[in-house]
Amino acid sequence: MTKNFLHLMLMMGLAVGAAAQAETLKINGSTTVNLPAAEAAEALRKEQGLDIQIDTQGGSSGGISMLGEGLVQIGMASKPVKDEDKAKFPKCDFKSIHVGEDAVAMIVSADVWEGGVKSITKEQAAGIYEGRITNWKELGGADRRIAFFNKEPGRGTWEVFTHWVYGDSKKAPQVNFPEVGGNEEARSKVGGTRGAVSQLSSTWVDNEKIFALGIKTEAGEVVEPTAEAISSKRYPLSRPLYLLTNGEPAGTAKTFVDFMLGERGQALVKKHGYLMLSELK
Amino acid sequence: MTRFFCWVFSLLALLAFGGLLAVFLWQSLPVWQAEGVGYVTKNRWFFRQQEFGAAAMIYGSAMVALVALLVAAPLGLGTAVLMSEYLPNRLRWGMKVLVELLAGVPSVVYGLLGILLLREWVYDSFEAFDLLSGDTLLTAGLLLAVMVLPTVVTLGDDALRAVPSTQRRAARGLGLTRAEVVGSVALPQAARGMGAALLLGFGRALGETVAVFLVVGRQDNQLPERWWSMQPLLESGQTLTSKLGGAETSIAYADDLHWGAMMGLGVLLLVLTGVVTLLGTIFRSRRNANA
Repeated sequence: MTKNFLHLMLMMGLAVGAAAQAETLKINGSTTVNLPAAEAAEALRKEQGLDIQIDTQGGSSGGISMLGEGLVQIGMASKPVKDEDKAKFPKCDFKSIHVGEDAVAMIVSADVWEGGVKSITKEQAAGIYEGRITNWKELGGADRRIAFFNKEPGRGTWEVFTHWVYGDSKKAPQVNFPEVGGNEEARSKVGGTRGAVSQLSSTWVDNEKIFALGIKTEAGEVVEPTAEAISSKRYPLSRPLYLLTNGEPAGTAKTFVDFMLGERGQALVKKHGYLMLSELK
Repeated sequence: MTRFFCWVFSLLALLAFGGLLAVFLWQSLPVWQAEGVGYVTKNRWFFRQQEFGAAAMIYGSAMVALVALLVAAPLGLGTAVLMSEYLPNRLRWGMKVLVELLAGVPSVVYGLLGILLLREWVYDSFEAFDLLSGDTLLTAGLLLAVMVLPTVVTLGDDALRAVPSTQRRAARGLGLTRAEVVGSVALPQAARGMGAALLLGFGRALGETVAVFLVVGRQDNQLPERWWSMQPLLESGQTLTSKLGGAETSIAYADDLHWGAMMGLGVLLLVLTGVVTLLGTIFRSRRNANA
């Protein structure tokens, strides 16, 4: 009980006993899923007068744990719910609803891109992550230190990255890099720092301040995160986007899920640069 | 009657703080059992390997608060002297209002300003040091300096105003100049109160979360190799508050030991700020003792 309460205080900064309205639909989780979901919520507020609170506390992990705690009706996650998550919250019957697909890019700042680094291999990514490669010279770029911003633990983006490099997030070594939270933060920090690299959803790449490196396969082929490469699974760093509910969605939660799966919701998924369900083979 | 209520409410406040500390201690028990003293002395925080040593965060917190104080002390106390000793009353009130306004700015706004202006400024100004990014302990310290200024100015001003003006007049009557009066009459008597102002500012700097979180870089296990150089200040770090404000709290929630470690940071923070604030208050309450 105490733990529950403290957690609530820390996560939400809520005052004690702030009475929540019963009919409020609370949604929390991944910033990646939040982009289309927030627009969907806005549309439902306007058109159907639904009372929806949508937030991105703690990323995917925050979505999973707050749903497990019963603090929200819908969680947003850009990674599958693992068995250990389910074991942590035995009371919660996690239902994952697939709403789209996203690709994670290795993004670099403009000076790195213009310095001639256009692609990266899995080994090079591991080298940077483990601190063995510290200068862009080693990747054929200019003589500049690598400023690596690591996504903070619990973020879907980080899980996709480590899964790609190490085959399993659990095998990733523990490292000490400056950490970034949401996608906005990763974008602004990489954009404003020379020699920067981080992991970020490819949607956010603007090709002005931040650029996505191609992934160089062992065969020497460079794969860019294009829609075609993602849907055909040639691009290795892709991930599913989920809405999570406790049991089958009902009431306003069902309204929301149906909207996201419907034509307009899917259009929002596409609008934000992700792949719609219909585009996935 | 009044006295009775004073006692009751003082006790309530004490109970509240004690209760808070007790809850946090109780929640953090697992980590004390697992790590012992190592929890505060070890510089290894790897939660996936269940290793918890908070030394780097204690260092980070102390460092940013110290930088804040080093910058805010001359500025803040100087402003206090100007306000109390040199400005005519009207102007003084104007200044006071401005300082109060500064105190009223929400910390997240300071944080965003820090991202917009201070990060860039530090990044560009210290380019010679080959910074990795603009998120450094120094950036956080400078931002905190601005945030604790109102505390230092207001309390410093109060301490100076508490020195009776009859003494100033007597000193002027003996032929001392205005500057001499400030230097040899007002300042020595207000010294304790000004010390208290600094201590309370330090306490505020230790506890500030949002602004620091946004510009400190959040890099774990950063203890300096060389203590006497500028370098450690120009690297990213982690403070007790930035760690607690991060995503790890959500992850820790499912694991008793990890949760205990996070709560332990809360204990450290409470104890640190508590001790500093207490010292400051003791200092203040004795400010007119003629030592």
